[in-house]
Amino acid sequence: MRRALAILAGLIVAVALWEGYKAVGSPDGTVLFGVRILPRADDLSMPHLWTVAQRLGRPELAGGDPVWLVVLRACLFTLGITAAGFVAGAVVGLLLAMAMQRFRIVERGLLPYVILSQTVPLVALAPLVAGWGGSIMPAWATVAVIAAYLAFFPIAVGMLRGLQSPSASGAELMRSYAAGWWRTLVKLRFPAALPYLFPALRLAGAAAVVGAVVGEISTGTRGGIGRLIIEYSREATSDPAKVYTAMLGAALLGLLVAGAVSLLEVPLMRHRRHVEVVTL
Amino acid sequence: MSAVDISGVSKVFNTGTQALSDVDLTVGDGEFVSLIGPSGCGKSTLLRLIADLIEPSTGTVTVAGKPAGQARREQAYGLAFQQAGLFEWRTVRKNVELPLELRGIGKAERKARAEEMLTLVGLADFAGHYPGQLSGGMQQRVAIARALAVQPPLLLMDEPFGALDEMTRERLQSELLSICAKTGTSTVFVTHSISEAVFLSDRVVVMSARPGRITASIEVELPSRDDAGRQSPAFFDKITEVRKALRG
Repeated sequence: MRRALAILAGLIVAVALWEGYKAVGSPDGTVLFGVRILPRADDLSMPHLWTVAQRLGRPELAGGDPVWLVVLRACLFTLGITAAGFVAGAVVGLLLAMAMQRFRIVERGLLPYVILSQTVPLVALAPLVAGWGGSIMPAWATVAVIAAYLAFFPIAVGMLRGLQSPSASGAELMRSYAAGWWRTLVKLRFPAALPYLFPALRLAGAAAVVGAVVGEISTGTRGGIGRLIIEYSREATSDPAKVYTAMLGAALLGLLVAGAVSLLEVPLMRHRRHVEVVTL
Repeated sequence: MSAVDISGVSKVFNTGTQALSDVDLTVGDGEFVSLIGPSGCGKSTLLRLIADLIEPSTGTVTVAGKPAGQARREQAYGLAFQQAGLFEWRTVRKNVELPLELRGIGKAERKARAEEMLTLVGLADFAGHYPGQLSGGMQQRVAIARALAVQPPLLLMDEPFGALDEMTRERLQSELLSICAKTGTSTVFVTHSISEAVFLSDRVVVMSARPGRITASIEVELPSRDDAGRQSPAFFDKITEVRKALRG
């Protein structure tokens, strides 16, 4: 109940900020020393929220489906790609983290490249990946590869840290039980890594959404929300509210992914909810 | 047959530090031996050698007649550290069950054995709690229950009460003695408290630093191991004797 209220309050604040700025801001934006530090507040740049809401209800093109349906369909398409990329990225990230934990030499050799991988501009990489579409994998899968490429990183780094988090005495204890690497991993390192894994999964979820949206745009894949944003932004001068409907869709996608990670967290982190201490 | 047999053991770490030099020590069956000495004297290293967590540079370590490595693989000892080191994501009972799980013991027997051990340390009512809900003293008792779960003939403890307050510490000392008496477990106990060593032990082994070696071995006979024993002249005599040995 209190959470629902908090979410509602957050929404109201966001709406109030948008409309408030629109009411007081200069329509041409505020320019200081030739730099626009505050955006334009005219209807073309910042349409009223109710205009955006109305636009959702009207057809995309004359006689076509209503915009909300089109956006929703695009969201579902991109959600599928995001999910595929997220899962693939998570698996790769976990395997990398395990390999780096197991072999110090792999950590030394690989970690710099894992970090380097994220500094390669995505736009430079996309055409290469897009080339695989239609030959070795369907076109949508190339977008999932880009999403996975962004998603694996936080998981590999976060999980490595988590797997290394148990104290030396924990590892010694497992050794005293004659447990090998695998059983130490299952009984000690994995459970100990969970508090590190979930924030990493959240980051990875957000990265997968960004990857899917940007991937769609740069590979020219049709049917998803990224493509829709590009298409609608071309109409921004004649129909400014339209592009915001697509952006709302992208935001919804991010919320969905974050929500899915939270759902995963609840059963696995039960012990964290108990706080009060008994003394005897 | 003795519980632990150490002969001619030296340990030099990779860094070149000589942690132990030519140590001989025998722990008899059912005997309670304390290792005491200044920090850096290698008493924890000696304990880890017995546990086969590290290997000696020279010499041999035998536990219950077997090489230390084989004894470890057969879980011939239980281990407890200064930090209870409980797995916070497991309930108290599941923590005690851990060594049994790794031994491949069935679920029903695990549960029964864990509950038996928790009763032994007086925590039967807290089996379903998580470690985070327990005080430090209670956590340490769970760690002792876990070390005893496989009913090992030997208990290795590295300053297990070091982080506890004096009251809890004395109570747990008495509990530990009664558990050892009940189960017939031999114990090697590392501590830096003279009174703790004297109160608990049949024998106090005094070590000196750089390089770590055994300088004295003091037999302790108290009229009783309880509060009266703590007041007895014999107790204070032994404390003085150990203190003198520590000063060399």
